[in-house]
Amino acid sequence: MSRTKMKAFAIMMASALALTLAACNNGQSASPGNSGEPSKGTATKDVTITFQNINPDPSTPSYKMIKQIVGQYEQDHPHVKIELDSLNTDQQKLKLKTQAAAKEVPDITIVNPAAQMKPFVDAGLLAPLNDVADKEGLKDTFQNGLLNYYSFDDKLYAFPDGNNIEVVFYNKELFKQAGIQKLPTTFDELITTVKTLKAKGITPIAIGEKDSWTGSLLFMNILLRTNEGPNFLNDVLDGKKTFNDPAFVEAVDAFQELVQAGAFPDGATSIDYNAGGNIFKTGKAAMYIMGTWETGSIDASSVAGKVGAFQFPTVNGKGDVNEYVIAPGSAFAVSANSEHLQETKDFLHYFIKEMPKIQFDLKNAIGSGQKMKGDLKEAGYSELAISLNELFKNVKGGDLAFDNTMNPAIAQAHLSSIQNLFVQKEDSAQVAKEHQNTFEANK
Amino acid sequence: MNVLKVPARTIAVFVLPCLLLYTCMVFVPILVSVYCGLLDWNGIAKAKFVGLANFERIFTSDSVFWPSVKRTMMFAVFSMLEIPFCLLLAILLNRYVRKANTLVTMYFLPVILSVVIIGQLWKTIYNPASMGGMLNGILLAIGLESWTRSWLTEPQIAMYALYFVSLWQYFGYHLLIQFTGVQNIPNELYEAAKIDGAEGFKADRYITLPLIVPIFKISIVLAFIGSLQSFDLIWVMTGGGPAHATDTVSTYMYNMSFLSMKYGYGSALASILVVICLSFTIVINFVFKRIENKVS
Repeated sequence: MSRTKMKAFAIMMASALALTLAACNNGQSASPGNSGEPSKGTATKDVTITFQNINPDPSTPSYKMIKQIVGQYEQDHPHVKIELDSLNTDQQKLKLKTQAAAKEVPDITIVNPAAQMKPFVDAGLLAPLNDVADKEGLKDTFQNGLLNYYSFDDKLYAFPDGNNIEVVFYNKELFKQAGIQKLPTTFDELITTVKTLKAKGITPIAIGEKDSWTGSLLFMNILLRTNEGPNFLNDVLDGKKTFNDPAFVEAVDAFQELVQAGAFPDGATSIDYNAGGNIFKTGKAAMYIMGTWETGSIDASSVAGKVGAFQFPTVNGKGDVNEYVIAPGSAFAVSANSEHLQETKDFLHYFIKEMPKIQFDLKNAIGSGQKMKGDLKEAGYSELAISLNELFKNVKGGDLAFDNTMNPAIAQAHLSSIQNLFVQKEDSAQVAKEHQNTFEANK
Repeated sequence: MNVLKVPARTIAVFVLPCLLLYTCMVFVPILVSVYCGLLDWNGIAKAKFVGLANFERIFTSDSVFWPSVKRTMMFAVFSMLEIPFCLLLAILLNRYVRKANTLVTMYFLPVILSVVIIGQLWKTIYNPASMGGMLNGILLAIGLESWTRSWLTEPQIAMYALYFVSLWQYFGYHLLIQFTGVQNIPNELYEAAKIDGAEGFKADRYITLPLIVPIFKISIVLAFIGSLQSFDLIWVMTGGGPAHATDTVSTYMYNMSFLSMKYGYGSALASILVVICLSFTIVINFVFKRIENKVS
């Protein structure tokens, strides 16, 4: 091999080595214990803020809201560019986890309350936002206590976009068709209603159980009743109760009763969340037990005007119908490693300040996490929306979803266990025992 | 090598960069996975070294793991069983159909479709009749009401429904490989055989089969390794549900790593999958070497 060839070879090898080292190095940064330094940018320089969000569908009010506020802000702040990274919920959750593993969380991202965001907080990935909350009294625009779900050790890490309760939406027309006069107020009546609807060939309750959180959310309503009040899961976490508690076993039994009565569509476990909701929104199912965040999209569907809502009934005479499964919304958080931390915080402050106003105008204010100003009726809200707004006034409290309370490993085991109840009958004591075993193994 | 008549160093120039890249892209991640399998780590926060605890739990007390291994194996077995049929069809096509290429292309069509599309398509076909499911609709229409099922949600049946879709999807792929193999056998051999009095399946036994063995092996290895990693189709159609009834090792691994946020546990599962794949590749190669020696 001649000299020049040797040289060329050496260069080639060196570059190959550099390339591979770079690749290895990238892999390295994914390992734990490697944190970047947050740096402050200057306000006069051009900055680009990445805004990851879960509103990819241009037809929804939430999408319009984000677009509108971002547009306004960019107009007033020519040196700031907001880059939207819009993904659907599942994709966003996954992308964020991957980004988090590489310590590359986007400037603004979406997190879910309590247990679901805790790993991110523990890893120091999110920036505390107390200064933003205190500026111009922003935190006072939120409903009392709501921000607690997003605070750890007195530090607030995210601003939620909503605060929803779970209700039973029902199709008045289909109820009439089945000759149902009275809305169910007890679980037994709910079962009777289900059977009456089923006998008329109407799917009683729409659900998309491929996304297993949907069944769990419904199940949590029952548990909230059989436990005669909230905090069952917190008591388990605190060691005051176990999953073998009679309240939990009773809830499993009641849930199975609902399944066995034929409440859900055939093949429910292969229907995803959106398709499940559409069964109701196209008038093919009589009830839909879901969070109030669905109100806007029900009003925009073909069953608009035919839908009412009632509270989840008591179970075996237990529980208070003014207690709800509560879903504090997905929330906006800021990366602790953001290159433009100050600009991002400034933008988020503006965003949260504007949100309730814009949401109200877009008729998307039901279940808002912030206090609403303005008259719903005057603004042209639907009857359903107005009646739900009334329900909100009497909320006495309640529980969060299972996966907002328990860590992901236990939550996943629970979700698949509930999903299993859709396809086969199980011994409820055994279900409880498996929950307890998983809990102890993953504490 | 000596036919190339080039010094070893020149060979190194061409091989080493690739080898290094391969090492970094494939080998190193495998090692990293094995290491991560020794951790108790949620993928984000600080990891804790727990030694072989993850592996111990997988092998002793995990009620999902062994069934998922069984399903993965079944996937592989079914996809291998399909290949003899592909070969048979390839021989028949080659012999009796004049413009066979068109047909082969048609069979090949599902292979080029995205798995997501295939998944959605078959999901719709498998749906209950009340939701417009075609399969159940047809069964109802021809009076086989008792045969209608909720194909993807009955735990005992869902897996077979998935096997079938996978077989359907890759049938054309293996057919194409076999067909090309069969076509490449020189016609003179058959003519010579004819003179010797061997025709039809007799000619196949002594000419086609021995000459097709290497091609057959390619199909088998591809099918086997491919189905051991089967993930996308299952994820689209059932997501491993209902309640783990259709989990394979790879979907379970994904579930653990990303949904349950037990990255260490998921990595341990990944390492086991690597070992399974490797050992089966070795076994298949060994078996085929013996077959090749025997038939030729």
